[in-house]
Amino acid sequence: MINLAQRDVVHTFGKFIVTAMGVGMLLGIVLIMIGVYRGMIVDAEVLLDDLAVDVWIVQENTLGPFAEASRVHEDLKNSIRVIDGVDKTAALTFQNIQLPQGDKPVRVVAVGYDPYGEIEAINPKRLIEGRKIRRSHYEIVVSKEIGFKLHDSIKLGRNSYKVVGLTKGTVSSGGDPLVYITLKDAQELQFLYSNSRIRSDRARGIQTTNATMVNTIVATLKDGYSVDSVAQNIKRYKHNSVYTKDEQRDILTKNLIERASKQIGLFTGILVLVSTIIIALIIYTMTLEKMKEISIMKLIGIPNSVITKMIVQETLLLGFLAFIFGNVFSHLIYSKFPKRVVLEISDAWMLFLVVIIASIISSFVGVKKVISADPAAAIGG
Amino acid sequence: MKEQSIKVTNLVKKFGKGESEVHVIDNADFLVNKGELVALIAPSGAGKTTLLMMIGCVEEPTSGQIWLGDEKVYDNEWLTNETRKIRREKIGFIFQSHYLIPFLNIIENVTLVSQVNGVSKEESEREAMELLEYFDIADKAYEMSSSLSGGQNQRVAIARALANKPEIILADEPTAALDSERSVDVVKMLKRIAIDQNVAVIMVTHDEAMLPLCDRILKIEHKKIVST
Repeated sequence: MINLAQRDVVHTFGKFIVTAMGVGMLLGIVLIMIGVYRGMIVDAEVLLDDLAVDVWIVQENTLGPFAEASRVHEDLKNSIRVIDGVDKTAALTFQNIQLPQGDKPVRVVAVGYDPYGEIEAINPKRLIEGRKIRRSHYEIVVSKEIGFKLHDSIKLGRNSYKVVGLTKGTVSSGGDPLVYITLKDAQELQFLYSNSRIRSDRARGIQTTNATMVNTIVATLKDGYSVDSVAQNIKRYKHNSVYTKDEQRDILTKNLIERASKQIGLFTGILVLVSTIIIALIIYTMTLEKMKEISIMKLIGIPNSVITKMIVQETLLLGFLAFIFGNVFSHLIYSKFPKRVVLEISDAWMLFLVVIIASIISSFVGVKKVISADPAAAIGG
Repeated sequence: MKEQSIKVTNLVKKFGKGESEVHVIDNADFLVNKGELVALIAPSGAGKTTLLMMIGCVEEPTSGQIWLGDEKVYDNEWLTNETRKIRREKIGFIFQSHYLIPFLNIIENVTLVSQVNGVSKEESEREAMELLEYFDIADKAYEMSSSLSGGQNQRVAIARALANKPEIILADEPTAALDSERSVDVVKMLKRIAIDQNVAVIMVTHDEAMLPLCDRILKIEHKKIVST
């Protein structure tokens, strides 16, 4: 039996391919949107996984240090370290700063940590050039994506910092590149005001801000201790909020990016709906263009099943080709996005399923038109 | 003894109802035998195409009886739900224009109906090639209709109408789009088919020059069918 769909597609090959490419671009955007969401989750967990600590101690009744502002005393790390079960502790600061880079400053998150401390903040696997911070002051390790080179000098606040190391893939939960500086430098940047401001504050009777604050204390535990029970102990005796690694991950992926993911989810849903409507409109138009032939086929006795098979096959082929083009398109452009886009095969398969269902639904429009076609329309010119 | 191919009795067709009712065909009675080429003539709007569509099981009459071959297909109502199957198996259609399916090549256009009827691809193509040779266009079998002339396409359309070995051919102004020389060729071809294939051919035409080539003329006059 002649495959009518195949013959029709071959006959209008260029038009069919261009149409599929158009729909494919739309589907490519859907994949990119899903990839942006996946990227946000990956970004949110980079710092968490690099630090690989068991508990996060933050200001009481806050979801710090990422979802809410948090300030705790630096020396809290010492009293935490003596709690039963705690192995190592470190004080960390996190601060959004603008690095001067060319004409436009680059927004980054500065991680302040003690390079001589017990917990190393920089994941050695991510250090691709140079070294970690070895001095107490004025050294900086930056993410390669920012564009600095080794030995570059960066002016931050009152001081200049020398780039001693470059990392790759280090981003904050918001997707901004990370830079690492010593805790002392970070505290100075975050908590010390300019001389004129200090003078002004003193004139007002305001005490100089305490520069020994940090945003969080992190700790690792000794083997054999329950993370939950140690966290409970710290919470009970130190009057701070304490989160385990999993709780902090929940805060990052749920509290912090939940709204963004809902936004992207809604946008993706709308795009899928628009794609379905566009496929349906294309199939309707393609069917309308063939109404004379369909009437003739019905008149000469071709059953509806043969004609509707042609419409359904063409719709499915259009959906399939659009899916292929969408994947190619998304893989071509995803690396151009400023923030991380993660394309996962499972998402592509899910989209494939959605596209096939959308194509089947869309084909109903054409099939309905076929069934209602009047064979008499073929007669009489 | 001539075999009956089309028999129509008391056929009535009305459109609309009440004051807007239009009586198109009124108690039409006629017979067309196998091997006959019959011209159907009437002024525009007199109901030629409507009559053709009723015989072709496309348009439902208001009342009357229609026989196609030995089978009574209409007796004040369709006697079968599968009028499309009747068209596919018993009737070949030829139109004003060739109306070939543009995305099929010539041989696929000719074999489509027979393949739907269950004839194998090889068998249907062999028969189609015979028909195309009969119409002297076998060399165009694998070309698209867009590359053929109007006359060649009309011959392909006639070959398509014959591919399902019909008992009846209904031709709706098959020469309307052709010049007088090619029109004569097509009507002569229909005459030859009627005799060679032993089928009844009803041809709607406005061209009086074609009438002498036909065996008989059916004329719609005052909603009645007059045979001359």
